[in-house]
Amino acid sequence: MKPAPTLSTAFLHPAGQALPEPLLALRKQRGSALVDMPLPTRKTENWKYSSKYLKLTDDMAISLPAEGKTGSSLAVPGYKVAFLNGVMIPEACEYPDLDGISIKSFDDLSDEEAADLADRLDSTLDNKAVQMARLNSARFEDGLLIRLKPEAVLDQPLFIVHEVTAEASGSAFPRIFVDAGRHSQITLVEEYISSGSAQVMVNTVTEFNMADGANITSIRLNMEGENVQHIGSTGVLQQRSSRFESHAVGFGGPLRRHDLQVRLEGEGAECKLNGVVVTQGKQHYDNHTTIEHVAAHCNSEETYRNIAADQSHAIFNGRIHIHQDAQKSNADMNNNNLLLSNGAEIDTKPELEIYADDVKCAHGATIGQLDEISLFYLISRGIGRREANVLLTMAFVNELVEQIPVEAVRETVQGRLSHFFEQTFQEA
Amino acid sequence: MLSIKNLHASVEGKEILKGINLEIKAGEVHAIMGPNGSGKSTLSQVLAGNDAFEVTGGEVTLNGENLLELETEERAREGIFLAFQYPVEIPGVSNLQFLRTAVNAMRQHKGQGEMNAAEFMKLAKEISKQVDLDPAFLKRGVNEGFSGGEKKRNEIMQALLLQPKLAILDETDSGLDIDALKVVSDGVNALRAEDRAILMVTHYQRLLNHIVPDYVHVLAGGKIIKSGGRELALELEERGYGWLGIKDEDTADSSAN
Ligand SMILES: Nc1ncnc2c1ncn2[C@@H]1O[C@H](COP(=O)(O)OP(=O)(O)OP(=O)(O)O)[C@@H](O)[C@H]1O
Ligand SMILES: [Mg+2]
Repeated sequence: MKPAPTLSTAFLHPAGQALPEPLLALRKQRGSALVDMPLPTRKTENWKYSSKYLKLTDDMAISLPAEGKTGSSLAVPGYKVAFLNGVMIPEACEYPDLDGISIKSFDDLSDEEAADLADRLDSTLDNKAVQMARLNSARFEDGLLIRLKPEAVLDQPLFIVHEVTAEASGSAFPRIFVDAGRHSQITLVEEYISSGSAQVMVNTVTEFNMADGANITSIRLNMEGENVQHIGSTGVLQQRSSRFESHAVGFGGPLRRHDLQVRLEGEGAECKLNGVVVTQGKQHYDNHTTIEHVAAHCNSEETYRNIAADQSHAIFNGRIHIHQDAQKSNADMNNNNLLLSNGAEIDTKPELEIYADDVKCAHGATIGQLDEISLFYLISRGIGRREANVLLTMAFVNELVEQIPVEAVRETVQGRLSHFFEQTFQEA
Repeated sequence: MLSIKNLHASVEGKEILKGINLEIKAGEVHAIMGPNGSGKSTLSQVLAGNDAFEVTGGEVTLNGENLLELETEERAREGIFLAFQYPVEIPGVSNLQFLRTAVNAMRQHKGQGEMNAAEFMKLAKEISKQVDLDPAFLKRGVNEGFSGGEKKRNEIMQALLLQPKLAILDETDSGLDIDALKVVSDGVNALRAEDRAILMVTHYQRLLNHIVPDYVHVLAGGKIIKSGGRELALELEERGYGWLGIKDEDTADSSAN
């Protein structure tokens, strides 16, 4: 038997030595734990559809240089933070000093702050389940720490642009940690974009640590180019009566992978996870979500919709784990899929593990095609076939897109989706 | 305007239309009546270009042009409009967006400029008033959760917006209460014009009190077995279809809906 491939040692040499000492130490420790880390293969259950697209050759181990220009493609009002190749670019950031809210690059943390952060990094994620998040912990070069004091409310959305400039092969490792105090509130938009055309990897980790009653809305837009493999992880740890809402919109690429893990640890915590994925050509998109109902009286509501055209492949794997003490849990998971061609593939897998007896847990998955009768209805009004296809395809995800609470983002997303669908139906 | 000659059509290998002949001139209103399952909706759908139905013989021309060669959307742009017996619900597409897209597709075909959102909104509000639909319906998904009567009024609204040459109304009167019937009939009468023809499928003579047809046809077993003036409708109301010698198998599944 061939030994399982392991991570090349080339990946164990992080750049970014400006980090405060406690973070350098943490990173080193995480790195040494990666020696001989087996890489996901098609026998790795949670990577079985995607491992073949994961390219971790030595040229990918190079840190992309943190230089160049950056600019969001979202022209929207709000506070701004810009990352270039995983490093925060202060000149491109725009946010005032805010009462009770601290937004800081990892580089700017005092040793004391950094030590506190080092204790808590990775605490929201189950590292065994998200192997690739461990790589980020060994490689991040900078990061963003957002701390909200109790009751602090960010009055406008915070836009975080993560850009990679792919002039040559290599990787970027953006990292975000949000520490939300009791009853604090924030809306955070993460946008991932790219320029250049070399083969690159973006390996991200975003963590939300939410105290009692905290309220977070997270919007995530995956918009990178065809040369970018994106492997992202998001961890959410929720205390009593906190509320987390996620809107993830992803456009396909050679490899797009997002692991979203939510742990409902305090009673009455609530999460709502919406996801929209569109793929065309030979694109590949893999969403894995896990909701851990640890405490009693928590609600989770999850809706993901995939649209796959051409020869593309979309995957949704949704796990709900209701722990023994999580009585009166309410969990509802739905995954609806639209196949636009015979060559496209969609795999959907709900995984329910329920150890409490007094719970409500529902799940549903559908895979379908565009409805012929609806199409006929539209074209019988003189609407062109292509436009009718775009309208119907858009309709399939619009219900979720319309829930994106920031109007400017919602409109941008709608525009980009219709543009994407117009391409999809170009030949039709 | 519309000329149908010996039209045959089948669905899933089963022949439904077995030689339809019908001539409709501009300005005329024709009513088609007939038992359930006789092929009235099939005829309507075939004219509109639903390719779930296969035309196996015959010809159809619209103002001399071969209709059967045109794509569905081209037929619509040439002026064919079908008010569906069962209007389709399309959640996720707002009624307003749907209507504006349709109107603009037509305008583009005629070489007119697009109507912008504000202009269209004004027009849509006017016409929705004409069919007694609250403008709030414009914001909802296409026919989504509309009652039966609201759906029918939405169909008439579309006809009024699109101003077709030939409006085919497939049981647009079914399921309407008396007030709604009046509203819909007024809408249809507003459509009546010298350069426009109307083909109405109906089970009820009561509609024909509001919209007086020039001709009434009876479609049974995939053929038009009798044609006459409006008095034919009255006779059918009184006597049913039996006296026309329709075979049992053609009325077997007949029950007014
Ligand atoms: N898509 C289809 N697949 C199979 N059979 C069909 C289909 N559409 C229509 N038919 C059949 O064709 C026949 C004619 O149907 P059609 O809908 O044209 O009748 P109709 O005259 O409009 O009846 P009604 O008065 O009930 O509306 C029926 O026997 C019907 O079951
Ligand atoms: Mg019918």
